[in-house]
Order: sequence, then C-alpha cells, then structure tokens
Amino acid sequence: MGIPSAPMITKAFKDLAILNAAKRGMPHERICFTPHPVWGKTPDELRVYVDGPDPVSGKPLMKEIVDALTVPLSDDEKKSGIVSVSVGPPTFTDTADNLQEFYLNNGYTDFLPIILPTQEKVDAMLKGTGHKPDEVVGKMAAGAYPAWSYTVRQVAASAVMAGCRPEYFPIVLAIASSGVASLFSSTNSFAFAMIINGPIRDKLEFNYGIGALGPFAQPNATIGRAWTLMSKNLGNGGIPGDTYLGSLGNNLNYNNVVIAENEDASPWPPFHVQRGFKKEENVVSLFRGLGVVPGQVARGSSANENVQFDYQMSDLFSTFTGFFGALIIADPLVAIRLKEQGYDTKEKLIAWLYKNTTQTVKDYKSRNYAYLFEYPQALQGREPFATWYKLPDDAVIPHFPRPESFNIVVTGGQTNAYPQAGNLSYGVSVSIDKWM
Amino acid sequence: MNRRKLLSLLGMSPALLAGSRAEAQKTRTGKSAAPEEPKYQALNPKGTPPPVKLVPMAPRLDTIHGKTVYLVDTGFMGGGTLLQQMQAWFNQNMPDVTVVFRKKAGPYMEDDPPLWKEIKEKGNAAIMAIGH
Repeated sequence: MGIPSAPMITKAFKDLAILNAAKRGMPHERICFTPHPVWGKTPDELRVYVDGPDPVSGKPLMKEIVDALTVPLSDDEKKSGIVSVSVGPPTFTDTADNLQEFYLNNGYTDFLPIILPTQEKVDAMLKGTGHKPDEVVGKMAAGAYPAWSYTVRQVAASAVMAGCRPEYFPIVLAIASSGVASLFSSTNSFAFAMIINGPIRDKLEFNYGIGALGPFAQPNATIGRAWTLMSKNLGNGGIPGDTYLGSLGNNLNYNNVVIAENEDASPWPPFHVQRGFKKEENVVSLFRGLGVVPGQVARGSSANENVQFDYQMSDLFSTFTGFFGALIIADPLVAIRLKEQGYDTKEKLIAWLYKNTTQTVKDYKSRNYAYLFEYPQALQGREPFATWYKLPDDAVIPHFPRPESFNIVVTGGQTNAYPQAGNLSYGVSVSIDKWM
Repeated sequence: MNRRKLLSLLGMSPALLAGSRAEAQKTRTGKSAAPEEPKYQALNPKGTPPPVKLVPMAPRLDTIHGKTVYLVDTGFMGGGTLLQQMQAWFNQNMPDVTVVFRKKAGPYMEDDPPLWKEIKEKGNAAIMAIGH
C-alpha cells in the first residue's frame, strides 16, 4: 500500500505468518500476535487480548502495534532485490536405508516407505511418456503461496516414490499439469478426489468393480498417492504450520479418493463425456472439498421394496456445505434403479436434487461457510447470495447455489445398492492422452 | 521457533539471511554406512521455488498521534470483534488518533484494491486482523 501497516495474527499461525511474509518479499515484516483463538470469544474476552501482551514477544500488544507503525526501519527492512531459494542439490547419494531415512526426515514422503527415486527408476518412469524430461509441466501451490514449477523429471521422482508403474505416468503428469495440489493450506482439512475415465481404466487394470474405492488395485492406490507426494514435493504443500494448517487433518490425503468410473455398467454417459470429451478419450477430473459420507446413514435408505435413492441423496446432502458441491458416487445398482424410476439422464436427477434439497434462510445463515465465504459476496451483490440474505429467516431456499453444484459418477461392484456422497466440488478435467 | 531458523528452513539464500545456510542441503540420517553396503544416487524430488523479490517496507510514521489509522477486518471469524475492541482502546488511550474501521470486501482470499486505494489516500497507517 505504501503506508506503514501492522498485520495482527493469532499465535497459532506464527510460523505461517513469518514464512508467508518472507515468501512474498518481506522476511522482516513486523507481525503482531494475539492469543489464539479469537473466534467464539466475547467482546469482553477480546478486550483482555487487546489490553494484554503479545504472546510471542511478551510485550504489551498495543505498544507492539504502535511500535510496528512508528519505529524507524532497519537496513534489512529497507532491502530490495531478488534472492534465490534453495531446495538442496539435485541428487543425494547414500545407502538405501539411509536414503529412506533421509527422505522421511526431510518431509519428502507421506511417512510410509517409498520406492527410492534412483536414476535408474526415474529413467524407467520417463519411458512412460513421450515428453522430454526437462519440459516444464506446470506450477503448483498448496494455498495462497507463490507457486513452484516442475519438470517431467521432477514429476517422475514423485511417481516412482509412490510406487507407480511407468505406464501410469501419463495420468500422473496430467494431474501435475493441472496445478491442483491435493494438500491445501486451509484449517478445514480438505479432501481431494479424482475420476478416471476412458479406455485407460482397462488398459492399466484400474479397479472399478467390487471395492472400487478401496485398496485393491495398484493404479488406484499409487496414482492417488503420487498426487499427494507431488503436492508435498512439487508444490511444497503439507508442511504443518507452514503450508498446511488443517486442524484435524484428513485420512483421505494419503492417496485421495480415486474413482475409476464403471462406464459399462452405468446407465448414463460417463463423466468425461458430460464434460465435452469423447468416450474414447482418457481423462482425469479433479475435485476438492471436505470428504465422503456413506448413503446408508440417510433417511430413505431402508430396505423396502421401493427405495427412494433421490430422497436418500437429498437427505444425505442436508449436512453438506453448499460452498462445495455434492459428488454422488453411485454403485451401478443405484444408478440403474434411478433410471428405472424415471431419471433417464443425470440432468433430470440433478434438477430434482437442486429443487428438493432445501433449507431455511435461518439455517443457511447459521452455517460457517455461508458467513465466511458467501455473506461477503452477498454484500457485494453477488447472486444468489445477495437475494438469500435479504429473505426472511423462514423462507426456504436451495441448499446449493446452482444445479452445477451436483455431479454424478458411477462405480462399484454391484454387491449392494449403496451410494456414497462427497461434499466435493468439481475443479477441472485434464486429457491424459496429451501426456502419453 | 525463531524467525532466523524459520527462514533458514525456507531455504532462503545467505544473501538474505546474512550468512545463514539452508538446512535442506544437509543429510540428517545420523547413521554411518557400513562399508559393504551399496550406495545409490537418488533424485531430489522437490520442485523449483520462485525467487523472492524483496519488498522494502514503507517508511514508518514519526508518531501515531494526530494520524488516521485504518483497522481492516479481513473477514475471518472474530477479527471484526477484536478490531472493535482495539478501536475502543484507541478512543480511550489515544483519543487524538482517528480510527476508521473497515471490513474488506469479498471473502478473505480476495483482494480489495478500492479499499487499499482509500487507505492510501485518506489514511496514515493500517492495522489488519487476520483470523482465526
């Protein structure tokens, strides 16, 4: 801004604040700290914070703030120029055991054993694509940080570490090219998912039958893991206190939700065709959100003779935040029954769900995400939030802002008619074929 | 962890840290290899971070008395309430400071150039509260 400023942050984010300021060019920024948290505290409790000390420096908070705005700058604080950031040498040499330990201690892994990315293994991985090893694939950031860039060779290292076979490499590259990290800095402990479509599902023997979302096939397991390792290594994500702040963390981050669609058993067009690709194209589609819940918990899921899956899904979504969408993961038995019940297209089902999944304005306003993300947009006049915030508390509004919030994918082994649902929003679809 | 150690872990160059060395280049295995064990060369899996463009901080005020200070709520939960208590503190302890409270437009991750312009034109300093 060109005028003195004093950022004030709660103590829990000390490391994050210092490091992020440094990454953005102010390694000596005068950051003041309050006790943590401020959320949920009364005005009187927060007045105690204001009257009390900065918990990091121990000095009175208000003196710290006034000093931040008035004490003359040091030479370091006046510095300009460009400085490099080192991530170490391009290779490491040691015994296998020592390298395993070294990679683990330096945060390069997910704390499970890895395949060491030796030159030989990386060279073999590079044979899985026609792209040059030094080609820049993309940039990735694990939140509001400056993005890191990476080459085909650097992507290959993470693919090797995750246990991928060279023939999986085009999918890993397609994910890397999206720039989407599967570890995100938010305190919300986000989860991530991918849908794999196209003939490559059979060529690589993805599991989209019994246990489709479980640990029962190498491509499902390792490609998902590679996404997380790339997020840590290529995007510098997943450093607790620095680039990762998820309070509880998310177990799905180990290898993410990898969904190979059961295209042949589905009564509807596959997901990638809905997104404008041809059926014979190989595509990976990425999602981000809060997690996945089972359909068995929903109302309408009793084993009567006419199970209402539409009603069941709508009930399942009632606890979801509309900020993220709803990804329906339907076993083929569910999808087939829905079609028999009149939903001959996904669009018909989505239209019903959008219309019938509702909430009162009072309930909407009480939701964390509405206050944090949508109320500020309402103040700017953005719809539908501006209209929703003007309605009376007992007015009934859609639970999700628009029909596009819903997505449907079919997978599973048809041992029972169970859906699952992710509070996950669609991000992007990327061609795998371009990375062959 | 102190600031120097944190910045060192970030891998910033010695030019910035006045002699500090990036720790990322050191192995920390603590185990010495037995002579008969084969050694392997493995790739550093990290991506390439962008260089840091240092931004000189704005000159400080000679005094805060008689000046206009903006209190900016970025939208995180509780930040606005905290800043309102700070506004009350200024009113009681430094009544000659003009305090202006503003909530940044849009969700917390969005920029608000019109507000920054207003602060630069009408204010002398800013205090920003960034949750939680």
